[in-house]
Amino acid sequence: MTLGPVTSSTDLTTPAEEEASTVTDGKKIEGRSLGRIAWTRLKRDKVALTGGGIIIFLILVAIFAPVLNKLFGHPVNEFHQDKIDPNLGGIPPIGTWGGISTDFLLGVQPVTGRDLFSQIIYGAQTSLLIALLATLLAVMIGIVVGITAGFFGGWIDSLFSRFMDLILAFPLILFAIALISVLPPTYWYRVTVIVLIIGGFSWPYIGRIVRGQTLSLREREFVEAARSIGAGNFRIIFRELLPNLAAPILVYSTLIIPTNILFEAALSFLGVGVPSPTPSWGRLLSDAVNYYEYDPMYMVVPGTAIFITVLAFNLFGDGLRDALDPKSNR
Amino acid sequence: MINFILRRVVTSVVLLIIISMVTFGVFFMVPKLAGTNPAELYVGKSATPADVAATARKLGLDKPIYVQYGEFMKGLVAGREYDNGPDKTHCAAPCFGYSFRNDRPVWPLLLDRLPVTISLTVGAAIIWLLGGVLAGVISALRRGSVLDRIVMVVALAGVSLPIYFTGLLAQLFFVHNLHWFKGGEYVNFADDPFGWANKLFLGWVTLALLYAATYARLTRAQMLETVSEDYIRTARAKGLRERVVVGKHAMRSVLTPIVTIFGLDLGAALGGAILTESVFSLPGIGRLSIDAVNTKDLPVVLGVTLFGAMFIVLANFLVDIVYAVIDPRVRLS
Amino acid sequence: MRIKRGAVVAGTVALALGLSACGGGGSSSDNASKGASGYNAGVHGIVNPSEKKGGTLRFGYTSDVDSLDPTRIYYASGQNFMRAFYNRTLLTPASKPGADGLILEPDMAEVLPEISADKLTYTFKLKKGLKFEDGTPVTSKDVKYGIERSFATDVLSGGPPYLKDMLDQGQNYPGPYKDTDPEKLGLKSVQTPDDSTIVFKLAAPFSDFPYLLVMAAGAVPKAKDTGEKYTNHPVSTGPYMVEKFDPGKKLTMVRNPNWDPATDKTRKALPDRIEMTLQMNADELDKQLLDGTLDLDFGQTGVQQAAQAKILLDPNLKKNADAPNNGAIRYAALSTQVAPFDNVHCRKAVQYATDKTAIQTARGGSENGGDIAVNMLPPNIGGHDPKLDPYNTKSGKPQVDKAKEELKLCGKPNGFETKIAVRNKGKEPKMAEALQQSLAAVGIKATIDQSDASLYFRSTIGSPANVHSKGYGIMVAGWLADFPTGYGYLDVLVDGRLILPSGNNNYEELNDPEINSLIDQAKAEPDAKKAQAIWSQINAKVMDTASLVPFVYEKAMNYRNPRLTNVFQDQYWGEWSFGQLGVSDGK
Repeated sequence: MTLGPVTSSTDLTTPAEEEASTVTDGKKIEGRSLGRIAWTRLKRDKVALTGGGIIIFLILVAIFAPVLNKLFGHPVNEFHQDKIDPNLGGIPPIGTWGGISTDFLLGVQPVTGRDLFSQIIYGAQTSLLIALLATLLAVMIGIVVGITAGFFGGWIDSLFSRFMDLILAFPLILFAIALISVLPPTYWYRVTVIVLIIGGFSWPYIGRIVRGQTLSLREREFVEAARSIGAGNFRIIFRELLPNLAAPILVYSTLIIPTNILFEAALSFLGVGVPSPTPSWGRLLSDAVNYYEYDPMYMVVPGTAIFITVLAFNLFGDGLRDALDPKSNR
Repeated sequence: MINFILRRVVTSVVLLIIISMVTFGVFFMVPKLAGTNPAELYVGKSATPADVAATARKLGLDKPIYVQYGEFMKGLVAGREYDNGPDKTHCAAPCFGYSFRNDRPVWPLLLDRLPVTISLTVGAAIIWLLGGVLAGVISALRRGSVLDRIVMVVALAGVSLPIYFTGLLAQLFFVHNLHWFKGGEYVNFADDPFGWANKLFLGWVTLALLYAATYARLTRAQMLETVSEDYIRTARAKGLRERVVVGKHAMRSVLTPIVTIFGLDLGAALGGAILTESVFSLPGIGRLSIDAVNTKDLPVVLGVTLFGAMFIVLANFLVDIVYAVIDPRVRLS
Repeated sequence: MRIKRGAVVAGTVALALGLSACGGGGSSSDNASKGASGYNAGVHGIVNPSEKKGGTLRFGYTSDVDSLDPTRIYYASGQNFMRAFYNRTLLTPASKPGADGLILEPDMAEVLPEISADKLTYTFKLKKGLKFEDGTPVTSKDVKYGIERSFATDVLSGGPPYLKDMLDQGQNYPGPYKDTDPEKLGLKSVQTPDDSTIVFKLAAPFSDFPYLLVMAAGAVPKAKDTGEKYTNHPVSTGPYMVEKFDPGKKLTMVRNPNWDPATDKTRKALPDRIEMTLQMNADELDKQLLDGTLDLDFGQTGVQQAAQAKILLDPNLKKNADAPNNGAIRYAALSTQVAPFDNVHCRKAVQYATDKTAIQTARGGSENGGDIAVNMLPPNIGGHDPKLDPYNTKSGKPQVDKAKEELKLCGKPNGFETKIAVRNKGKEPKMAEALQQSLAAVGIKATIDQSDASLYFRSTIGSPANVHSKGYGIMVAGWLADFPTGYGYLDVLVDGRLILPSGNNNYEELNDPEINSLIDQAKAEPDAKKAQAIWSQINAKVMDTASLVPFVYEKAMNYRNPRLTNVFQDQYWGEWSFGQLGVSDGK
């Protein structure tokens, strides 16, 4: 599927490699405060910090969208007939560069004359909300399944591993659009289903990593030690394993967020995202396909928004991985 | 080895059967849960309840789902007959179902579209494999240089660009502004090789960009790891020339994981590069599936999904076998 | 994007689309002789009149054809196409510009039918020398068999239901495939006393009956009927026959050697070949029209917005475009059974508050979207009255003050909440959003409830029970008549006795005894002019109930290749008359 890279980046971690890296990981973790080392490293990484800064900025934009919109935009779905020429069917908007002006900071949408700035900042809400919820879901399922498979091993491990193979073998986009399109296209329905689908299909990436890490951790001395003083499975998992899994989980969660953002945008682009009039970057782009010859700005603006967001998460995720994984920092 | 292959074949088949069950269940149960009767999708607007019931009966939708599934699987292996008014329509094995919207079995529909998807993905795959690996190797060898940085920045940008944005930008510049490419309808390679390449070129490049970026990053990391291994140092110490060291010794271990991933990515892409095909309007499997979804042509949707899954499973299988050949330890696990 | 165009087209399917037509619009016979040119020339006259034969007529289409089986075709363009090239019927529209095109003339019938005094029996005599493409003569039994096929809806779904409804008369005829009659001619209401005579017996007088025959299959030879697969090669009675049909890709047709021009005075049959490229990308189709690779769009639904801007901005392209009213109307129905729209004043508030200009723009503007609609009969249906504008909406601008007054009368001075139902495809959501915005200005807070296009007209708003339970106050819809009379247009939309549990068209559930009785009068009225006057009256009464909000009389801007000859709008179909087209360069 064209959303490919995730497949690649995670399939890289063949079990042998994972185990090798955990050994080094583990020593550091035990020795000193991982957080502090990581933070020292991260501070030196200007690129990652820029990424992080953009992410914080975007999250603030999404949260304060109503305020920002009041200051710089127009009511989100308000039509502005005076900004377009109805005789031409409203394409392109009146003015140059897609109708960009001091009043309409990013121009207007053809046909309706809606303020693109307002669409973009509310679109950030949609995009981040869905991507973060889906990631949260994926991480939760991934941790539970990964730890269970890795900790208990045996037939449970085989069963869960095959299950993860099964999910990864699904032609995902196709399955998603087919499934979503047969369900009612109302807002909450769609948001829920999209989150469930993205989360429900991306957890094996986390699950595999957690499983691999757990496999190697459970044989380690500190687990043995805990067991020998009579700690139960429950305690071992929560007190010994989870804290040690925090770092890889954090890194890979950060790295699947951008994929999830792209996925949500792709679904909207294919017409099965959140229903209009809820603003969505992917839908803006798919709408822009009709007009891009005459109004390229209308395509460039949402496209750039998606690009910057995804890039920021990728930069930050990369930096975080480097900071938490000493090996890659050689 | 034979034992291993047999085991993998069995696993793959079981995987496919499970996927078919899940897909079948989802596509035929979910509309029901959402309160729509699939048969209603096939009748006209003014059809009476009796018409709907008759259509459901004809399509076998009135039977319990496991019976429908059984018939579907039987058709896949042995073909099946569809009641079609005065005579029966035979849907030859492998019968992926019968599209009542197209009045054709699904399998030939898929075969019709397959060459387009193969042309697109294989062309792109060659570009992304060569380009990505080359960029990664150069980047690793010139680590820390400006070139390295540029390659890595481009690679990261490449991973972050949605294809439905790059594809549109590419069309805007190269088709509409510069007129370097014609756009236009897809033509078969056999009919007009130049027209074929002209139409596919932008699709190849944009699709390749997405993957090449990943491959470049991967190759670079792998290369950096490899060149610090002892045997490479030994090779260098022996006084072998750098080209031989890199080209012969290091590349071998770099390429092994790359080939693995390449197999999986290609398998997934062959299952339908939906977004690329939509953006460049290529009539491949991906567009067939979009059309089918839009017209609620469930048999085609089901067929395409299974077909796509088949490619992924097949790719997994091949990669496993290749791996086992390269690394005998895998066979034991 | 294919998705988009496909969606738009899919949207129209549900409209029960057939034909459109007109009583207005003067005859343009003066233009016909010398030919017309320029923008909209094909709307008012004939572009490039010519009798030159030869060449290939090239259609393009963004979708697959629904079917080539004449029993199953329901789209206007499909009807236009089959009638022009391969499916002759007993009667056929005259294929002339202007109002003359609405007149039915004998096609396979020798003359117009003989109608009994009680108006219940229609007797047709077939012409001599009619043949199928394989040379076998066409008999009245083939005609009857063709009609019987429309009863077999379990095998052949999707076609017009009228004849089945009208001719079954309690027999529960299952269609020829399950017919116990050895000759498969068991339908009792149609009789074939000899090979050239066919008699239809109606249960009640119905003056529009001949129009129903135009929509159906003309003649189907039982020996060649392959049921569902008949679409792959329908046996032709017209000037062309299928050479090769590759579904989803291409259709080619060649001349039918067994078509005798002496038996056919309607069709010109100028080109030697007809080709249609299917499943084209919508923008690609427009591009090929503009560069002359293709001659015309089969769908006739208008060019995409990108091409529209290009055409309107370039006079050299604009002169080859026509943007006629295609007979469709876009409107909203206000449910009289969902509060607060059970109160006429709340309905009137919507009439006044609606910003029709914004909706018009959402549909593509004044050229490719349509003209602002002021009442429910479009200009090309007999009985239309442009002056009938009870809510003064010609300007398209909302009248906030008036709307607020009505809200007060309705007892909701601060507005109310309601739901707008709309399909989730094409331009529809944007129309609903424009409506939502303009209603918000007077305090009516409407939420938009999008639903799946494929079931929208059948079970979403087509099911009154569903409308009530979901609380749809406003339902966005579109309508194109199946045949060009007031009855064909308005009856199912407003007849209170036609409120159906599913597939309903009277979405607003209007059941006004006065309107119902006027409809009965009009139906039985044999004089077309008098019937029109009654429909005009019905239209006014409907507008008074304020339960239907007309938005636009739709226009579709199509581009004609300059080499096309005899291009004119056939008012019967609301499209160019396919059967008269030729190509000037013989290629």
